[in-house]
Amino acid sequence: MPKLIIDDIAVEAAEGVSVLEAAKSVGITIPHFCWHPALGRAGACRVCAVKLLDGPVKGIQMSCMLPAQEGMVVSTTDPEAVALRRQVIEWLMINHPHDCPVCDEGGECQLQDFTIACGHGTRRFVGPKRTHVNQELGPYISHEMNRCIQCYRCVRFYQEYAGGSDFGVMGSAGKVYYGRFESGQLESPFSGNLVDICPTGVFTDKTARFRARYWDYDMAPSVCPGCSVGCNITPVARYRELLKIVARRNDMVNGWFICDRGRFAPKGVNAPSRPRTSLVDGVKTGREEAMDALLRRLGEVAELYGEGSIAVVGSTRLSQEGATLLPLLAESISAGALSYGLSAAESRASSGAISMLTLENGASIADVENADCIAIYESDLREEGPMLLLAVRQAWRRGAPVLLVGENSPLEQVRGVGIEAVQLHYMEEAPLAIFERPVVIAGMRHGDPRVMAVLDRSGARVACLFPGPNGHGAALLCAEHGGIPLEEALAKGKVKGLVAVEADIPAELLAGVPFVASLDWRETAAVQAASVVIPTAAWVECDGTYVNFEGRAQRFSRVMKPGLPIKELDPACHPPRIHQGDPPGGDILPSWQVMIEMIRLAGEKVPDGPFSGSWANLTSLDPEGEGEVIRGRCRRDS
Amino acid sequence: MSNAPAENATAEENAPEEVIDLAAANQVIDQYLTLPGNLMPVLQGIQEEYGYVPKPAINLVAERLNVYPSQIYGVLTFYAQFHLKPRGRFIIRVCVGTACHVQGAPRIVDTFFEKLGIGHAETTPDLRYTFEKVACLGACGMAPLAMVNDDTFGKMTVQKVDEIVAEYNQRPMK
Repeated sequence: MPKLIIDDIAVEAAEGVSVLEAAKSVGITIPHFCWHPALGRAGACRVCAVKLLDGPVKGIQMSCMLPAQEGMVVSTTDPEAVALRRQVIEWLMINHPHDCPVCDEGGECQLQDFTIACGHGTRRFVGPKRTHVNQELGPYISHEMNRCIQCYRCVRFYQEYAGGSDFGVMGSAGKVYYGRFESGQLESPFSGNLVDICPTGVFTDKTARFRARYWDYDMAPSVCPGCSVGCNITPVARYRELLKIVARRNDMVNGWFICDRGRFAPKGVNAPSRPRTSLVDGVKTGREEAMDALLRRLGEVAELYGEGSIAVVGSTRLSQEGATLLPLLAESISAGALSYGLSAAESRASSGAISMLTLENGASIADVENADCIAIYESDLREEGPMLLLAVRQAWRRGAPVLLVGENSPLEQVRGVGIEAVQLHYMEEAPLAIFERPVVIAGMRHGDPRVMAVLDRSGARVACLFPGPNGHGAALLCAEHGGIPLEEALAKGKVKGLVAVEADIPAELLAGVPFVASLDWRETAAVQAASVVIPTAAWVECDGTYVNFEGRAQRFSRVMKPGLPIKELDPACHPPRIHQGDPPGGDILPSWQVMIEMIRLAGEKVPDGPFSGSWANLTSLDPEGEGEVIRGRCRRDS
Repeated sequence: MSNAPAENATAEENAPEEVIDLAAANQVIDQYLTLPGNLMPVLQGIQEEYGYVPKPAINLVAERLNVYPSQIYGVLTFYAQFHLKPRGRFIIRVCVGTACHVQGAPRIVDTFFEKLGIGHAETTPDLRYTFEKVACLGACGMAPLAMVNDDTFGKMTVQKVDEIVAEYNQRPMK
């Protein structure tokens, strides 16, 4: 632990960190472009210069390249260092087009910040600027090479960190060019991170181009609903329209990056066909009337067909709040069957997984990155958890062998991140015992639940990829409340009344059910088949909790108010003549609040909030924290 | 989840893949396969064989040396010595350095452009000529100066351009 002095502040730096990081730890930001916490340093931009007044090294040094050492006296404000930084930034800006007004990065641009921070305010060079021809990089990413300052972050991320083979650096000297050799879509499944990692506007999000400035954004800490990995994200909205998604740092989950699937997935939240008002037999009504009709008709169904003819179905995309209330709702309407929308195979796999996982043997993404051997069991990570593939690559870069086990683990998945793997047929063939920190990533779609016993004995840490963003939470509640698979709940024709809460039920299973009610924000088959529809708030429109694959409960916050996006409003109704408290189409509650209302209307005792009893500890989750690991509560022998 | 190909690809991207015989490239790679740091000699050898570095050969080198194609493109575009497009049988170089410029090199260059129908660093469609302006050929006493492959032509005039082109039009392509 070297002790040094930076700007008269005594700093005790961690072993092996650079002067730049040591300064950061006490709140001194030294301008930097090529250095990035996830990528390390390159010494390419020369803008982090500091002066060392005393100690083992003296004079002007690049603080990102210089390890913090005992006895160093560092000045970031020495006139010599300040002058150098000012000259370097002026030089970096010589070819920059100064097109901030039409650049999407403007307002959230590191180059803007550090240009000002380094004291370069007036352009002196009057000669012509070098220009480049931009490339067409596909539908997601815009390319504007003239803005480049040659920090090499993009190519270091793309080639080294993510293993992409189609993007690189070309040319030399004044003609250095970052791109593909010819126009074409970027192939890496992590290409969207170029947008986040570029310190200026060379790569920007094409899907949200020219839509809003940083200070206009509605933002909040959130969690990606794309898969069970639960990457931390910041959705960006404006005027009640979700514009784009950027990665949010959480070292315990996704680190700094997210996958393209999470970032660029079609934004169903903005879909015009989304249910926005309560419907009874296709007629718009208020929410109270719709709930009344729902309960009345369920009563009729129960009277006509007897006890046990009603089923309540949730899903793995229902937040943990909704999922914990689902059994209470089922009880209040005397439902005979409760399902979390899992298929029979998923149900078997999930219950096998939760009864095997403990606090000790579950693997987080950090465990995957630090593993010395990784087995991917019956899973295509491109579908089930792309970010794990990036973690697998980091372990592979440190020398861990990668084993693909079973016929549903295609070799193509690891080619996308530029790593080599060995294919095996059976889990028993994997020599996990000879490694110190082996990790198994087990898929749930095709996996054999019996293999869980093998994994339990193997001594390896296990990451089980549950279906859906709250698959782990749903599986825990399934075990607690006796949830049954979807087919079992609906297939036999016994169910005559169905309440689908944010559930994705195939149309053929709905065909034989006379009365369907749906609480949802997506236009699912259940919404189309339902006689009573009550809209619910989408994940960006309410607070909620997802439990990710490792059993980490993470809170997400409301990003924007529910309501019709401004661009979908009828222009004839503008300006509005009647004062409304809520935006049009904004009378929408989160699903768990709708469920509480229904329990109240059904005459049952209403719980105080979504979490009670053994779940009460989730009430105080911090959306900006690391989340809380709750796995292992259902292990059979504990 | 590899991203799907772009829908509106340009005509150039839809152009058919270049077809070349890769046997010679394979031979070059065989020769250097075990040498550490073999990328440069392999690319130089391939350029010697084909006169330029063809795209299929780049993919072959990437495959056999286990290097990303993007990294090979990085090397190829870094050095001025590599060419990614076919070059002519005769490389015409006209000096536009200071001495030659004063002696009227721009008119020589323009006359070549007119005669050959190509510009700087371009190749005629029949692959007979590639034309390049260069900064200095080191023979300022003979300004203005032109070179065709290894033959030097000093004290150039517009008339001599006609003669040179007429003469090299007669030369065999192999």
